[in-house]
Amino acid sequence: MAAFINILLGGVFHAAVLFLVAAGLQIVFGVQKIVNLACGSFYALGAYFGVTTVTWALKAGLPPFLFLPVLIASGVVLAVIGPVIERLLRTVYDRDESFQLLLTFALVLMFQDIMRYFWGANPQQLGNLVMVYGKVGAGGVDLPVYNVLVIAGSIAIALILGGFLQRTRYGRILRATAENRAMTEALGVDVRRINVVVFTLGTVLGTVGGAFVVPTSAASLDMAVELVVEAFAVVVIGGLGSMRGALAGALVVGLMRAAAIALYAELELLSIYLVVILVLILRPSGLFGKPAE
Amino acid sequence: MLDLGALSVDIQNSHILRGVTLKVGQGELVCLIGRNGAGKTTTLRSIMGYRRPNAGTIAFLGRSLTDLPTHAIVRLGIGYAPEESEVYGDLTVAENIELPTWTCPEGRPAAERIALAYQIFPKLRQYMKRGGTQLSGGERKMVSIARALALDPKLLLLDEPFEGLSPAIIPTISDGIASIRKLGQSVLMAESNVHHIPDDADRLYVMERGEIIFAGTPGEAKRDPAVMRVISGAA
Ligand SMILES: Nc1ncnc2c1ncn2[C@@H]1O[C@H](COP(=O)(O)OP(=O)(O)O)[C@@H](O)[C@H]1O
Ligand SMILES: [Mg+2]
Repeated sequence: MAAFINILLGGVFHAAVLFLVAAGLQIVFGVQKIVNLACGSFYALGAYFGVTTVTWALKAGLPPFLFLPVLIASGVVLAVIGPVIERLLRTVYDRDESFQLLLTFALVLMFQDIMRYFWGANPQQLGNLVMVYGKVGAGGVDLPVYNVLVIAGSIAIALILGGFLQRTRYGRILRATAENRAMTEALGVDVRRINVVVFTLGTVLGTVGGAFVVPTSAASLDMAVELVVEAFAVVVIGGLGSMRGALAGALVVGLMRAAAIALYAELELLSIYLVVILVLILRPSGLFGKPAE
Repeated sequence: MLDLGALSVDIQNSHILRGVTLKVGQGELVCLIGRNGAGKTTTLRSIMGYRRPNAGTIAFLGRSLTDLPTHAIVRLGIGYAPEESEVYGDLTVAENIELPTWTCPEGRPAAERIALAYQIFPKLRQYMKRGGTQLSGGERKMVSIARALALDPKLLLLDEPFEGLSPAIIPTISDGIASIRKLGQSVLMAESNVHHIPDDADRLYVMERGEIIFAGTPGEAKRDPAVMRVISGAA
């Protein structure tokens, strides 16, 4: 029983973080029609920058229990790279998907070198900060309160994002742009500006996701590619471009991963991608995707 | 208010528009008529800035449009109801029609603009809550025209408002266009079927293979056998 609950809690925590990055991938794909592999790099960058910022803040006298707000703020500050990267992507909006994938993959490699340059090849950790909020017992298992806060934070972000897209005027304009860019221009919208806003939003979802995860593990150079591989599974399972799909896919992948790690750690990716293949066969457009016309 | 001067547009190295000259004056209803493939849609899309001319001029209220992006052209006061309606399926009818008041909030109050859009097609009030995918072709046309009108444009471009519609719905659309005209709205309408041309159109341009082969009143067109041969058999 305890083992099962462990898997459940570990899976939901990972799903919460994975959802954020996948949501960024989805919204960028939905509006800009670009599959942004660099979302994994934003995640890694968020993790590294989070370690640096929090370490610096603690040295400057920050009480440890305030580290979470600082961590989130460090993720949000990285929004500044969104418009810069979007500027680069403008060169491939009207080109083949293969060019878009090449460019965003090039970004992954470039970010990897940039991170190596600043933080070196060794993983960066945040010590034992994750325990400053204590633990809670759940079904015979101890869970850091930090993990609960991250799960709650992701749920809050999901709700805010959903409300923003469904109920606000700007959210409706974004959905209209995702559905039909040309028509939205004919209603007086400067879609270039929409691109900048959406890409920056996608970037922040990635960097905050990376910041959230770093106290529980470490920032490392591999995490960008590892996450892209999982985020892809999320998107295929949930359906490309769908926010609900991101949520469902993240839960599936998060739980599968936790179960695999507990039972057969070697088979983690194999089991996740078996589900991906199953979905591709049974429901090619994903759980919440729109069937291709 | 709109002036096209010797407009030429190439698509993939073929000359689609060859020296198109036409004019729409304040408050006029002008029809661009021609068979399928004549170049009507290309003309409207060039005005909207989706296509850039190789040669010639497009001026609106004395300003050249040829190097403005589409959204800026719209903000000068041009509303566009495209051939395929392009109603957003992900939004309700009411949201489709309100959208222009959010994207272009300047000008007349939103409530007034929305009320006007529904006044043209009162039937749409019954469908307000429906999603854009749950509409018939005629309903989509109405939403598309009402949405363009909610921009409060100085000039309205309608691309084949009757195309592919069942005979039952055609009077609703033509009544709508008649009410738009009563507002004093300037309209440029593309049409492939001569029977849909409103009798009170101020001017008619007949287009064939990217060229204007006739310009005049509907009465003059009907007296010109060469013109009638092109446009009456047109489907
Ligand atoms: N995107 C395009 N690519 C290639 N040819 C096109 C494209 N759009 C229009 N054309 C060609 O331009 C000509 C005029 O088309 P169009 O302006 O749509 O005519 P109309 O609206 O009068 O039916 C047609 O021969 C059509 O095949
Ligand atoms: Mg056409």
